[in-house]
Formats: sequence, structure tokens, C-alpha cells
Amino acid sequence: MGRRLDETLAVLNGVVGDHLARTGNELVTRMSFAHEGRALTPEDVVRTTPPVSHRAVVLVHGLMSTESIWAFPDGTDYGSQLARDLGVTPFYVRYNSGLPVADNGLALAHLLDELIAACAASSSGPLEEMTLLGYSMGGLVVRSACHEAAAGKAGFLRLVRRALYVGTPHLGAPYERLGRVVSAVLRAVNDPVTRLIADIADLRSAGLQDLGDADIRHEDRKRRSPALRLSDWQHPVPLLPQIDHYLVAGSLSSEPWLADLFGDALVPVPSALAADAGGLRLDHVRVLEGRSHVALAHDPEVYVQLCAWVGGP
Amino acid sequence: MSDLGKWRGLTALVVDAVTAGSTAVERIQKETAARPFAILEQIEPIAPASRVVHTIHDVSVGGVHGIIRVVARGVGTAIEVGLGLAEARQHTRSPTDP
Repeated sequence: MGRRLDETLAVLNGVVGDHLARTGNELVTRMSFAHEGRALTPEDVVRTTPPVSHRAVVLVHGLMSTESIWAFPDGTDYGSQLARDLGVTPFYVRYNSGLPVADNGLALAHLLDELIAACAASSSGPLEEMTLLGYSMGGLVVRSACHEAAAGKAGFLRLVRRALYVGTPHLGAPYERLGRVVSAVLRAVNDPVTRLIADIADLRSAGLQDLGDADIRHEDRKRRSPALRLSDWQHPVPLLPQIDHYLVAGSLSSEPWLADLFGDALVPVPSALAADAGGLRLDHVRVLEGRSHVALAHDPEVYVQLCAWVGGP
Repeated sequence: MSDLGKWRGLTALVVDAVTAGSTAVERIQKETAARPFAILEQIEPIAPASRVVHTIHDVSVGGVHGIIRVVARGVGTAIEVGLGLAEARQHTRSPTDP
């Protein structure tokens, strides 16, 4: 399947992926590993990615994208560069970003368990350490998977030492909340046309709507309505204390108030830095100025920082 | 996902879009028309005739959109059958066939 078609399907899945899954549509993307543009099972990806080292890094892309979002112009990406510089084995996850984050989190938790089992059964031997790297929504999916594992629904967490988040809206994305308010206002107007526009706006996928408040559990989604607000709540799910968390935020402007409001154009800096998390070490966060949201997924300076964190003690 | 699977998925998505779009437009047309009819139906001398015209309007709008949806589903089913036949032909063809 061509890369362009994969990317088109990823956008379609991001916009109406929950509808595709609900109706059994064959355009739906199922969570899998991806290698050279192909979706693979954990067994196949371990077989296809020799040699698998005992340290793995799992890369999880964001909304409406595929693993190609990580690609630098020269064809490398954070995964292949970490493999070159630190000897870790990269695994790229592909998933339907239109599904609720909690569904993708559970699916990722099971996929990682299967990866661990596949490595243990392979000639390369068992994995000893796993680093999770999530970009944008991918970071929330990583958090959701870790939450499921911490709740006893998966076992991969024992291998995870660190999770890295790049441009992840830990406290939600204000544009989604704004869209929610506009939709509610249009629906409140007693006119069939404005109601139709609101209906069309509300067709956006569950995954997209989860970004508004960074809902990583199904129970979090219930707090979404009926309150309409443009400001953040504190996220009710803290960063797991048993692993180290490292966060990268982008900011288009060096002005602190602009960074707080707009951040990388999609995710405000306080949201990307999980400002309510508390207890995060200063050397676990990095704000890069002059970076847009999409640029964060393939930025040389971001890589230098990720490499230092993954290669650190 | 096979190429035929993608075509099947695209067909289903288009049928879903036409069906949902037609239902939404039908609702708008009926709600928009309901406003002037509501006024006309308050005017005693023309109220009975207005109600009849209103009913005819709603039935005809519903009928037109119903036909659109049936045709969309019919075309979708026909494409499904065609894709199914193509798939069956692919499976029965031996690997040495050109």
C-alpha cells in the first residue's frame, strides 16, 4: 500500500475512525506495528526487524497520522537514529486515532505484552527494557496504556523505565474545547441550518473529542458534559510514579504569555508540560522555541534531547 | 487490507454519507417549511387547505429523500456484489494464470 494512501486513510480514521470501527468498515486501521509501510503482528515485526536488542523504544504517532510523521527529510527518524546511536531497537505503532484514547490505550497495552512475548520466544531473547515515546495524541495513548497496566490489565510496565512525550496535550487541547463550545452554541440556536452545522461538527471522532480534556480513561469522558468551558481542569489521572517521565513542548513564540496561550499552535506549553503534575524534575522537561506542533515530530534538537534522556542513567 | 477491501470500505462510507446527508437535508427541508405552514395553519379560512398542502409537502419531500437513500443502498449493494464476484474470481484463479 502506498505511503500517500496510508496517510489518507490515517486522516480518515482520525476524523471518523470510531464510525468506521462501529460499522465494520474495511477502511479502519487496526492497531499493529508498522515496518517499511506494512502493518505487522508482534511476531512478524520481531522476525522482520533483526537484530532485536534487549532495549526497545516504542514510537506512537499522533492524531490523523501514521509512523511516517516521524520521518526526517533524509528518511531517518527518532527510532532509527536512536538505534544508530544507542543500539536500541525501534518499534513503530500504527493505530486508528479516531477511537477513544482509552480504547487505544488498552489495545496498546495488549500489543506491548504480545511484543514482549514475541521477543522472548525469538532467537534474539527477551526484552529487558522498554522506552515509550509518544507524539501528541500518542503520548496520551501511552499514558492510557500505562494506566491500564498499573491497574493490572497488562504486564509490560515492569520493563518500562521511562516514557517520553513530545507535544502531548496532557491537560487537553483548547481548540477542541472551543469547537465543543461553538457546536453547543450552534445547537442552541433554534434554526435547522445551524443545528445541521452542529451535527456535522459533532461527527468528529471520539479520539478527537478526547483531546479536549486529555481523557485517557472512559470514566474521564463522562466529566465532559454538560459543562462547557474553555479553561483546563486539573487532569484527574496523574503521571505514574513508578516510571520516569520526560516531556518536550514546542512554542512558536518566546513570549511567555503567547507560549502559555498558543504553545506550538495546537498544544499550549503548560498542557505539553503537564503543568499540574508536580514533582517533575527540571531536567525532565524541555521547551523548544520556534517549533510548530508538526515540526516537533522530526526535529534535530528534539532528537538530541531524546537521545540524552534515553541514553542517560 | 486488500485493494478490494478498500473499495468495499469506500463504497460503504459513501453510502453512509449519502444516507446520513439525505436524512439531514430532509429534516432541514421539513423544519424550514414548517414555519410558514405553522402561520398559514393559524389563519382560519385557509387552515384546512394549508394542512393538506403541508402534509403533501412533507410526504413528497420524504418520498424524494427515501428514493435517494434506497438508490444509494441499491448501488452500494450492486458494487458489493461486483467486488465479491471479482474477489471470488481472484481466489479461484490459479497462480500460474496470466
